[in-house]
Amino acid sequence: MDKTIKIKSNDMPMIIFRLFLVFAFLSAFIAAFNPARLSELINSSMSLFTYALSYSTIANNFIRALNQGWIEQTPLTMLYIGSLVCALSLALVAASFCLSLGNIKMKRLGVKFSFGAALLGLSGTLVLRIAYSLFQNSPNPGRIEPVFPVGIWVYAVMFTVIAAFSILLYIKLPKAAADEEYSLEPKYRLFLMILPFLVLVVLFAYLPLAGWRYAFFDYTPGHPLTWDNFVGFKWFQFLFNNPAQRAQIVRVLTNTFALSGIGLATSWLPMVFAIFLSELRSTKFKRTVQTLTTIPNYISWVLVYGIAFAIFSTEGFFNWFLVNTGIVEHGTNHLLSGSNMWLKMWAWGTWKGLGWGAIIYIASISSIDQQLYEAAMVDGAGRFKRMWHITVPGLLPTFFVLLLLGISNVLSNGLDQYLVFENHANRSTIEVLDLYIYNLGLTGNGNIPLSTLIGMLKSAISVILLFSANRLSKFVRGETIV
Amino acid sequence: MSGDNTAIEKDRAVTHNTYFLKRTPGDWVFTIINGLIFTVFTLLCTFPIYYLFINTISDNRLVQQGLINLYPVGIHFENYISLLSVGELINAAFISVSRTVVGTLVMVLASAFVGYLVTQQKMLGRKLIYRFIIITMYFNAGLIPWFLNIMMLGLTNNFWGYIIPGIVAPFNIILVKTYIESLPKELEESAFIDGAGYFTVFRSIILPLSKPILATIAVFGAVGHWNSFVDSIILMGSEPRLYTLQHRLYMYLNMATNLSNLMDSTGNISERDLAAALNGRITSLTVAMVSIVPILMVYPFMQRFFQKGLMMGAVKG
Repeated sequence: MDKTIKIKSNDMPMIIFRLFLVFAFLSAFIAAFNPARLSELINSSMSLFTYALSYSTIANNFIRALNQGWIEQTPLTMLYIGSLVCALSLALVAASFCLSLGNIKMKRLGVKFSFGAALLGLSGTLVLRIAYSLFQNSPNPGRIEPVFPVGIWVYAVMFTVIAAFSILLYIKLPKAAADEEYSLEPKYRLFLMILPFLVLVVLFAYLPLAGWRYAFFDYTPGHPLTWDNFVGFKWFQFLFNNPAQRAQIVRVLTNTFALSGIGLATSWLPMVFAIFLSELRSTKFKRTVQTLTTIPNYISWVLVYGIAFAIFSTEGFFNWFLVNTGIVEHGTNHLLSGSNMWLKMWAWGTWKGLGWGAIIYIASISSIDQQLYEAAMVDGAGRFKRMWHITVPGLLPTFFVLLLLGISNVLSNGLDQYLVFENHANRSTIEVLDLYIYNLGLTGNGNIPLSTLIGMLKSAISVILLFSANRLSKFVRGETIV
Repeated sequence: MSGDNTAIEKDRAVTHNTYFLKRTPGDWVFTIINGLIFTVFTLLCTFPIYYLFINTISDNRLVQQGLINLYPVGIHFENYISLLSVGELINAAFISVSRTVVGTLVMVLASAFVGYLVTQQKMLGRKLIYRFIIITMYFNAGLIPWFLNIMMLGLTNNFWGYIIPGIVAPFNIILVKTYIESLPKELEESAFIDGAGYFTVFRSIILPLSKPILATIAVFGAVGHWNSFVDSIILMGSEPRLYTLQHRLYMYLNMATNLSNLMDSTGNISERDLAAALNGRITSLTVAMVSIVPILMVYPFMQRFFQKGLMMGAVKG
């Protein structure tokens, strides 16, 4: 055969082939391509991967149908076997992807693998197709609500293409030399070692971005996302045009900006804490203060609330103190009052974070050149002069970086603190953006599209703020912060 | 590294002593006021935990009337013993411990391995891959898409939902990578010349040498796992057997607050509700104390590591 028409190891067909394999593997984790969702009774937001995990995951969707005799065991077993076979073939696909990076001998093995995987996958898809027919012919199809998943077509086409590609590549790839051994170049070997972690990053950090599409649909959990309930910018308009909704957003944003604003306005506190702590004489005392004031940072917000409950509820220390000093007659539960919520939340945040926040400044102070202090003393500078003219300028770069990061986080107050302190009495003044998204989307009836939309706008604005802060830092200090 | 720190500390101590050689009255006043303010703040940070503790070991009737405030009276440990008979708490503690141990172990090993791999210049697309991982620190899709994604992957109401999303921790990868880059290259190179593979070098050279940084991220990871409760609330909603200790505590505290609200607003409350509210208070405080103890136990280790960890974190990856 003519050598010129042979496919070399990294030619275009090989690259396209690999892309196909990657797509096929990832499709196992994407609910929209799930070929095994054969009935409306199955939760639409599950991927093939979850079906193959266990039979009970599938059977749980049909407990009632099985009991009522609407469906028999066989179609469900076939559904499970079909999913399992498809999942196994996708594991083989992943293996053949890895092999396709090796030398010619390895590539040829990989192509054999992918051909086997494609055949296995096609038979799995066929099993699912038969299971679908059984679903249709079940004793009570009206109750089972069979649906034909688009995933069956996707998988059939995908596996056919892979099979065809495998045959083509097997013919076109040059034969390996008789004495050639399986080998993989170091650059590919290292790449394959890190690949599983990259898959995790894709699954847990990048794939959620696809969830932004919910903002454009009338979506309720458990129901499929189809083009029928595509609503375009309906939720955008709702967010900005509906007066009640607008009032909500204004209230939540007021809380958010107020709390972030108080935090930013007092962000110099840790620096002052560190400066004055370093002025203390006894090293032992300094150590003790530093150790004990960082403890609150390590306990969770639930525990902080537990402490707040112990001290500020009706039987707590605070009431005991007030009653005993004659300030009030009867104690009340201070956690159930909605007054001064912003200040209270700031106070708890400071209680938890002040000692911890000071550590970075304490570390920076110890790196300031001692000779500066000595020189200043010789020149007759007093304690406060030294603090103001040497220590503070030494800490300002750190302060500046943290301030910029704080500004870029102005919309993200976090969820934990406000979730634990929230109750019916203080909801209107404690609900920050993060808590509002949680309450809106995951409690009660759960408005998924609207809460997704608000979260999406929040993420976008936060990223813009972060990059602006980065730019500003580069402009002012000539150094980036991220 | 730690040697450097102590040297700096000593240096500072000496300087401070020298500039206190000539003490003026003003110095004394400043030192006393300054010390006093720090003493008060330190008390503010520690007294609540002490208060929690004395309320769990004192006579329950006195606790219910709110009479234990400064020192314990009628010390007993029955509150702690009675927790042992609450099945859901034992279960929750087991879940908390499991997720902390498994989650930390997996995260540390993954961070070490990935941190090591991204230092290998030969890797295909090394810089791109590193950026691809690190950039995920700076954006997120938001709570709802994150939750729907985890659900799609079948990790809701599933113990692995605590573990798998946390395996790749970009910040820890930066820390490990920076640390490994500071190690002498020669050891690794000579091992490669001797014919060792990447796994062997990782296991027998990199892992032992990076113990300090791995200990740091392990301690922080463990505290994070132990303390997190929002994931338990959001992901494990319909599987009470998978609730963590902190989640249970959150439920108890909510219940206690609601009962106390009932008492405050109506004034008249049935005997049973009153008893429930007061018992709820003691139970909540005891569970809170139990949840704090592990933190206080690993605290000395954190003290040793955190400064170092933070210093390294300040170095950009």
